[in-house]
Amino acid sequence: MPIKLMAASRKRPGLTRAEYQRYIEFYHGTIARQERFKIDSYVQNHVIDGAFGLLSDADHQNKVVDRDAVVEISFKNFREMMETLEPAVPSAASQDGKFFANESTNIIVMAEEEEIPVPTPLTTFNPGLGIVKGVGAMKVLQYIMRDEDVYPEDYKKYWRMAHEEAVEKAPYYKEQARRVQANWRCRANDNDGAARKHFKMVDPPVYDLVVTHWFDTMEQVGAFRQYVEAMQNSAGPKFANWSKSFYLYTKQIVIIRDTPLS
Amino acid sequence: MSTPETKQYTYKEWYPTTKAKAQQPDLSPEEKARPFAKYYYEEIPQPDPAHYAMMEKPCDPAKALYPEQMNDLLNPGYLDVEIGWCNLANGAGFIANKIVYPGVTAEMIDWWFAWHPLEDLRYRIWYPPQHGGIHLSPEGRKRILDESIPMSERNWGVVHHVTENCDCGMENITISFFSPKDYGFDMTRFKQPFVSTFAGGQGWAVTVDKNDESITAPAMMCHIFRDTPEGLEHRTRFWLGYRLSNGVPECTLPPGVAVPQVAVQGLARHNVKEFTRFKHFLPRIYAEFGGKMIV
Repeated sequence: MPIKLMAASRKRPGLTRAEYQRYIEFYHGTIARQERFKIDSYVQNHVIDGAFGLLSDADHQNKVVDRDAVVEISFKNFREMMETLEPAVPSAASQDGKFFANESTNIIVMAEEEEIPVPTPLTTFNPGLGIVKGVGAMKVLQYIMRDEDVYPEDYKKYWRMAHEEAVEKAPYYKEQARRVQANWRCRANDNDGAARKHFKMVDPPVYDLVVTHWFDTMEQVGAFRQYVEAMQNSAGPKFANWSKSFYLYTKQIVIIRDTPLS
Repeated sequence: MSTPETKQYTYKEWYPTTKAKAQQPDLSPEEKARPFAKYYYEEIPQPDPAHYAMMEKPCDPAKALYPEQMNDLLNPGYLDVEIGWCNLANGAGFIANKIVYPGVTAEMIDWWFAWHPLEDLRYRIWYPPQHGGIHLSPEGRKRILDESIPMSERNWGVVHHVTENCDCGMENITISFFSPKDYGFDMTRFKQPFVSTFAGGQGWAVTVDKNDESITAPAMMCHIFRDTPEGLEHRTRFWLGYRLSNGVPECTLPPGVAVPQVAVQGLARHNVKEFTRFKHFLPRIYAEFGGKMIV
């Protein structure tokens, strides 16, 4: 079954965000296209804005409170992911990271996708997005840290309850969210030695869930703000550590995605 | 009011307790006072030597059953390997075991699999030499204690957090139980006389002494039961290295990696031992406590 590697990184010292994003799109992305290995699809999400923690926090609780891009690399199965991460000869992509990323602070999530129905999905008419259907141009990536008291299996249930409640309490979001996808951390991620080695991470925080929300344009991003505040104040069981959670407003850049055959 | 069945740790509280459970300490005074504590002190029956010897050497992988073929377990008769273990061609581990339980019914099995995760001692009495403890999440416990759910369905979607030694040292194993449909069985064939009941799911196991380099290993577990004139027949299959991903079995081993033989054989032997014990004590404990969840 498909598995996706989500890597949230920040720019290395000395780079501006624009330089970093230009580099990963036009240079690193080209390398990935040239030596594709078993990559099924590769999407870069360039960060426009975002927030870490809560307004009520006196200080940030994340080790690193800045992200400049999240790349999503999808594989048909776990084995193909491992073949790509650990080729017989080190890939050029794995050697390129040091030129743009602050590698030790990367956050990796190996995830399985779950589509969450939305009340008002985008119609198939999707100007400017070509063959890509059912998504808007504005993408929010929401990293939610599980409360350490909550069992992982209960976390799934509590998040879904809080999500449904927040949708009802956030009418603007209910009207504007075009697609929602829950990306659940796979236990195979426990054996992330290869990923840590590939992405050069040191003591990375562990996120069990990354939720992706799509909106038509940046104009509607206030809908997410309404939603996230409703979720943080949901009446159900406590499930998240919001001080260690964050969300990113991003622009999606497709590096590799094959045209469907049909 | 809190009872032994409703004693609940948070995840943060539970995890560190597993190191102590792995030491298999003597029973606490509260545990000794439980009406089923006597089972902990029983002499444990040894497996039939001929049966145990069948786990001595690997079987022919060409005759093994892959998880994608699980519906063959619903065929009448028997498969090529009913007792044995091996590494499959893709490196995954395969285990088959068969044991017949005279005087045992499917209702007893359903009750046992719902009853035992409620407290450590219930799990420890099953096989004291190698069972360290067990715990449920609050939502899992709520479902297990929900009398409106048929006993045969109580475990569906519940995760057992188990501490046990499968002949390779103490491990923490999370076992997510599935309905037969979600496990992948063909429900048009999932009925008598082909099957009487089922308990199975997906596990992830890691040593209780986990460190940054420890491997967390997936496995699919299948216990399927059918009635025979000799008694309830229990057929076990394990597929080590496989996970169930959205209802589809997938080998989750890196290329060129095989599950170590010692791990496959260890679980095979453990399975024979714990279910030999099961055969002897389930009818007796069911006669005392069967059907009830709170004791």
